[in-house]
Amino acid sequence: MNPEVLQLTGFSQQPAWLPWAVQYFFIIGLSVGAFLITLPAYVLRWSPDQRAARAALLVALTTGLAAPVALLADLHQPDRFWHFYAFGQAGSWMAWGSFFLPAYVGLLTLYGWLALRPELAQRARDPGPVGRVAGLLAGSGVELPRARRSVGWVTAVAAALVALYTGAEVAVVAARPLWHSALLPVVYLTTGIAGGAGLALLFVGRFETPRRTLFRWLWAALALTGLTVLAWMLGVSGSGTAHALLRLATEYRPVSFGLWLLFGLLLPLVLAWFHRAPIAAGLLAISGAWMWRWEIFMAGQGIPKNDVGFYGVHLSLGPEGLLGIVGTLGLWVLIALALTALLRPTANVQG
Amino acid sequence: MDTSRRNFFKGIAVGAAATAVAPSHAATERPTGDSRQRWGMVIDLRRCIGCQACTVACGTENRTPLGSYRTVVSQYELSEGGRPRRAVLPRLCNHCEDPPCIPVCPVDATFQRADGIVLVDNTRCVGCGYCVQACPYDARFINAETGTADKCTFCAHRVDAGLLPACVETCVGGARVFGDLNDPKTAVSQLIAEHRVSRLNEQAGTEPQVRYIGLDGRLQSKVEGVPAPLRASLEEVMS
Ligand code: SF4
Ligand code: SF4
Repeated sequence: MNPEVLQLTGFSQQPAWLPWAVQYFFIIGLSVGAFLITLPAYVLRWSPDQRAARAALLVALTTGLAAPVALLADLHQPDRFWHFYAFGQAGSWMAWGSFFLPAYVGLLTLYGWLALRPELAQRARDPGPVGRVAGLLAGSGVELPRARRSVGWVTAVAAALVALYTGAEVAVVAARPLWHSALLPVVYLTTGIAGGAGLALLFVGRFETPRRTLFRWLWAALALTGLTVLAWMLGVSGSGTAHALLRLATEYRPVSFGLWLLFGLLLPLVLAWFHRAPIAAGLLAISGAWMWRWEIFMAGQGIPKNDVGFYGVHLSLGPEGLLGIVGTLGLWVLIALALTALLRPTANVQG
Repeated sequence: MDTSRRNFFKGIAVGAAATAVAPSHAATERPTGDSRQRWGMVIDLRRCIGCQACTVACGTENRTPLGSYRTVVSQYELSEGGRPRRAVLPRLCNHCEDPPCIPVCPVDATFQRADGIVLVDNTRCVGCGYCVQACPYDARFINAETGTADKCTFCAHRVDAGLLPACVETCVGGARVFGDLNDPKTAVSQLIAEHRVSRLNEQAGTEPQVRYIGLDGRLQSKVEGVPAPLRASLEEVMS
């Protein structure tokens, strides 16, 4: 702090990206991360662990279906979303995202349907409305592994594009040195995988094998996150952005950053490494993925581009703040309840 | 009328002639400006008294919502060898030659006219806020009433009618001078020719078209110093 310069009057602009944006980047990150976890069993045939893949698929689907709502809500003119398609501009990552996101969600839904068809068909035998809906969705119910693999490959491309655009969209903003790092998309991806594995741990029940699989994903993703953040701070992606991240961690938000480091990164990493406390490890990894985005987006917008000091982070209670966050969570719970109601209980799933 | 205003009206004669033959500005039609002109501003900080009359005039002219500003005058106390002095810094959109707020817009709602003025088509803007993030000068905000991006327009509606921007018109000390940078006879061009002028945050590479006379180097880029003890938005103060 330069004591020779004293600000007398300061003005701050309100953050243009609201907590809705944090929610969108959080749940789409979880979706893409969890989708990747399904690939070894469902597409690549590297792993026989169908249970872990199924849990990750449920995470990918439920979060993927909720994501566009959070994104629309962050627009201050949501009813003009069609302008993206009528007036799209090729130079804007956000414009590309408006094509990548629906492609990903559509393909993911198809992929999920192909993977879950046999389960839906079994559920269709139950009497009552849930059985009837499951029957309608199941079609013939015959397993189509080749179709699932083919669609899985295409979905993987769409997922990669979503991961690329969500990271690049933020990383290209040179006006915010904190965001202007080529490593930012990497951390979004790794924290997304960690959060996806964490949420899948909550879906997987008490089975040892899938827990082990998900623990492996979890610690690998968290270890990569830690290494990437370290490389970022050491200036691998530029000294300006390294300085900005260090300043966020030590000057503007030391407590929040410390909490993220301890509870969002190190503790779940240790728990995952020792295969302990899956529910706690899962919940911590999920909150770690959220906290990281909160710090980058909301605290990042609190750093004045030109002026002195730090504007701070304010969370309103209304739809633009806390209510929005709770609303997205509620929407996800609804989707998760609807989807799991159509499927067999986890205990009956073949490993 | 001071020199800057007289010269401005000389310069505007060309613009007015062009406007007369240009198609009328229907709500959906974008004003294009005249490519022979390049509007810019010089702010002579030696004349600015930090009265915020420009802030108020802009808010009145453009009806910005309470607590949002298209222009403000930041004020600082700068010390040298223990001797403090007051410094002011009017801030606004720089109508950059190479504006990073434009390419990020996903729907092509923000654009630059041929005369350099950067505008937002708020019938097209989706309020995504991407341009707000991309502007290195914090010159943009989302207008809480329209839900679209908002910023200084150099009062294009007034300029097209042959008037000065409201902040220039009202400036008590005559610190804000506006005119055609392409015309060497305008007051802005002459001030630039006769004085050492500087621009904010040059390293951002955006070629800002607002220039300052008498700008302290410590205020030129991101200012590092002691924040104001009380930083309340106008909205908070009024409530
Ligand atoms: S100052 Fe900001 S809003 Fe104005 S033209 Fe430059 S980049 Fe765009
Ligand atoms: S807020 Fe409006 S003008 Fe700015 S980038 Fe988004 S759509 Fe374009």
